[in-house]
Amino acid sequence: MERREVSFRIQRYNPQVDRAPFYDNFRIAVEKGITILRALNYIKEHLEPRLTFRAFCQAGICGSCAIRINGVSRLACTTQVWDVLTGGGDDPILIEPLDNLEVIRDLVVDIDPIMEKLKRNQSWVKPAIPEEELGRKEHIVSDEQFETINAASDCILCGSCYSECSMMQVNRDYISPPVLLKAFRMNNDTRDTLGCQRLREVTTDNGLWDCAHCYKCMEHCTKKIPIMDGIHHLREEAFARGMTHTEGARHAQAFFDDIRDIGRLKEVTLPLRTKGVLGSLGMVPLAIKMGLKGRKPPLLVKRIPDIERVRDIYDRLEADRGGEVVGAIHELPLRSAPRSGGCL
Amino acid sequence: MEHRYDIVIVGAGGGGMFAALEAVRTNPRVSVAVISKVYPTRSHTSAAQGGVNAALGNKDRDDTVELHVFDTVKGSDYLADQDAVDYLCGQAPSVVRELENLGAPFSRFADGTIAQRPFGGTVKDRCCYCADKTGHTLLHTLFEQCLRRGVTFFNEYFLLSLEHADGDCQGVITLNMATSAIETFVAPVVILATGGHAKMYWNRSSNAAGNTGDGQAAALRAGIPLKDMEFIQFHPTGLRKSGLLVTEGARGEGGYLLNRHGERFMARYAPQKMELGPRDLVARSMETEIIEGNGFESDAGSYIELDLRHLGAEAIKKKLPQIRELSMHFEGVDPIEEPIPVRPTAHYSMGGIDATMARTAIRGVYAVGECACVSVHGANRLGGNSLLDILVFGKRAGQEAALEAPERKAHGITPPAVRRAADEIRSYANHERYERYGIIREEMGKAMGDNVGIYRVEERLRTGVDEIHALRERFRRIRLFDTGTVYNTNLIQILELKNMLDLALCVAVTALERQESRGSHYREDFPRRDDGAWHRHSLCTMGSDGEVSLGHKAVTMGKYSLETRSY
Ligand SMILES: Cc1cc2nc3c(=O)[nH]c(=O)nc-3n(C[C@H](O)[C@H](O)[C@H](O)COP(=O)(O)OP(=O)(O)OC[C@H]3O[C@@H](n4cnc5c(N)ncnc54)[C@H](O)[C@@H]3O)c2cc1C
Ligand code: SF4
Ligand code: SF4
Ligand code: FES
Repeated sequence: MERREVSFRIQRYNPQVDRAPFYDNFRIAVEKGITILRALNYIKEHLEPRLTFRAFCQAGICGSCAIRINGVSRLACTTQVWDVLTGGGDDPILIEPLDNLEVIRDLVVDIDPIMEKLKRNQSWVKPAIPEEELGRKEHIVSDEQFETINAASDCILCGSCYSECSMMQVNRDYISPPVLLKAFRMNNDTRDTLGCQRLREVTTDNGLWDCAHCYKCMEHCTKKIPIMDGIHHLREEAFARGMTHTEGARHAQAFFDDIRDIGRLKEVTLPLRTKGVLGSLGMVPLAIKMGLKGRKPPLLVKRIPDIERVRDIYDRLEADRGGEVVGAIHELPLRSAPRSGGCL
Repeated sequence: MEHRYDIVIVGAGGGGMFAALEAVRTNPRVSVAVISKVYPTRSHTSAAQGGVNAALGNKDRDDTVELHVFDTVKGSDYLADQDAVDYLCGQAPSVVRELENLGAPFSRFADGTIAQRPFGGTVKDRCCYCADKTGHTLLHTLFEQCLRRGVTFFNEYFLLSLEHADGDCQGVITLNMATSAIETFVAPVVILATGGHAKMYWNRSSNAAGNTGDGQAAALRAGIPLKDMEFIQFHPTGLRKSGLLVTEGARGEGGYLLNRHGERFMARYAPQKMELGPRDLVARSMETEIIEGNGFESDAGSYIELDLRHLGAEAIKKKLPQIRELSMHFEGVDPIEEPIPVRPTAHYSMGGIDATMARTAIRGVYAVGECACVSVHGANRLGGNSLLDILVFGKRAGQEAALEAPERKAHGITPPAVRRAADEIRSYANHERYERYGIIREEMGKAMGDNVGIYRVEERLRTGVDEIHALRERFRRIRLFDTGTVYNTNLIQILELKNMLDLALCVAVTALERQESRGSHYREDFPRRDDGAWHRHSLCTMGSDGEVSLGHKAVTMGKYSLETRSY
């Protein structure tokens, strides 16, 4: 069995005694095939009993052990030490708690904010069946309808995407990727009756429209769920249901129209179209400041030369509504069951 | 700090959460709190891959509750209580449909009904599933519904003791893990749903690190007997290196077990059911093959191969995606291309808190799920019957608790009881102590695996009992090295080890006592079932000196009388 010495550089912090987080180094001999979690357990049992982290199933299904390894959020129990060695194996492996959540101690973070957001956004199915009739008969659900929510129901609430999300970085009140994914999963469940209500909640401030499209959540999902497909489908659903009055929706619509019509943005009128007249007034000081700094958006925007090609893209997307947006990294792409009809 | 509730549920796995849901639904006026040492969706129910049994008849139209009862009773080697089995199987269809109604994403047949697959030890295909993540999706569905109903959770609270006054439930003492503060929950009704204890086999176990039987140990210390503790199920297909589980669904879908001669050896042990014989039989057959030198050899120990290649890439990806992932992560093997190295692993605890239709000997205390022994699994549990057990009895306990709670009163938990708990915790940090957690735990796993494993014989069982006694003695000198109060996991490890040691003693002692072979309990020196002497449940109680004494209890029979079990 291949063995080698490996150094671990682990972030420590006990709010009771430490003024600020610091790093501790441990060097241990590990065998090939050992996971980061086994290494942490070894360190705890043999070198530092105070080292604090969460773990439970050891099999990648409970979501307890998500941490940042060399700066990337992943599960300690499914990550092999060998796979994260850098510098020919001489660099220490950097171990830190998840980002965007308060540290309780060392690698343990407070995940209650995720639970709160799940609750606020009605992350559950409310069936049409009356209470007293539960259990009498099955809903009939086609295999296709099941497949629609299959991948999204893989989420183990590990928080990795929450930690990687760029929007979370600037706004802790942001709805967050796992909660958006749950909303997608529920809104595409044919048995659920809360679609409109949930979507209304999801599209309020700090919600669906704030997502920055950075794809980081999806790139780092420990279950390889194409979260972004879910987010896109929710946005489409918001439009299909006529929820076009929110700032975010208007912003998206303005983008959509500009690109279709001229191939670029008409920045000057964007605030007007997004925020309305009153809202835009609030932006006047910012505009003046930007103007003084010489950052003026062009007043007249010309159509780009090969606008036909842009139109072609629009046409093709139009023809494949509800299709998957990006190449599937998951074996089962998220396809939405197109919902339509306005909401009361 | 003191909390007061009408009902306190300890455990937020499938059993605990269904109980909570049902309690608030049955009587919205009762206050309910759920206490759990991990966040609800992290409970071990999430690990159940294969599925849940119910005679829906979606696949085999002629399947009936009767047949399900028969399979379960026969599977239990006639040690199950048949009234409880009748209830279990009778409620199965409606309880599974109810979860479906509430949003559980089951896989479907072409006609849109819940899909069912074959599972070990059954005459009909009745295992309902969601790909190979059934437990995960059921657990999340229950959690979602609890959020919907506004159930109150106390997450990362650790049960220390169960309190009663002359047999009337008073509540529980807990440790708030984030602060290490002792907090009491005064309640006239407590439902224990703390999951199994098969982690006492440590490295040779498919269980989560926290499946340490805390509720069982608390019940034992409070005077409730534990029943049928000698029965531990070894699952045939654990991954060679980690003990992690490859679901029976893999064989249900048509996987082969091969020895190193490439032979499907199950043909010699269970010619009819082959790989889908009951677990005890398949696990023993594999162990025999290994002992007789027909296994494969490797640095990480001897093993058998589980071959899925003939199922095809498509089926493996669609129906067994997690298994594929686990094999790749933990063995470096892609089952589409290579067979998976497996060997039997400790998996499920049939025994547990003695309960009659979920009620225990203390008035107001219920026990459900894997921590309880109702007993529907007897000497051997059928795959897919455990998720069913937690749902059916979780629901029942929730209903009864909601009706019972308004009728009972809890006076409170006495200050000396709280002081005792605090003193115990403080004492672990004593400087004169020196024994290390990791070492004792390692030796416990080995003592159990070597002496109280799949094949059992008097001499080794005696060694096992002696070794566990010695380890419990050493535990008295165990040292808590982390003396902080914020999220002290070192303390939790020690408390869990104490519980496992107490339960390990119960397992070893009852295994030594039972001089017959039945279900998962196989004695080389008594290879036959002996109904005359041993057709009875075993009971363990613990005296204040920590010694275990034994008793027994009659098995409730019903329609099916004793027969030899062959497959
Ligand atoms: C790998 C694997 C696969 C399985 N596959 C299947 C299958 O396909 N079909 C099937 O029917 N069965 C299966 N089983 C068995 C089944 O999953 C379990 O028996 C069942 O889920 C147990 O549920 P539970 O509600 O009793 O306990 P758990 O889900 O284990 O929950 C226990 C709860 O108690 C809490 N708890 C424990 N101790 C304390 C304490 N001291 N203080 C506070 N809270 C505490 C925990 O936090 C947790 O919330 C499988 C088991 C394993 C290990
Ligand atoms: S795509 Fe949106 S949700 Fe995902 S990480 Fe970026 S901002 Fe967050
Ligand atoms: S979406 Fe993926 S990364 Fe995010 S919590 Fe769920 S499983 Fe984890
Ligand atoms: S310990 Fe459960 S996911 Fe890692």
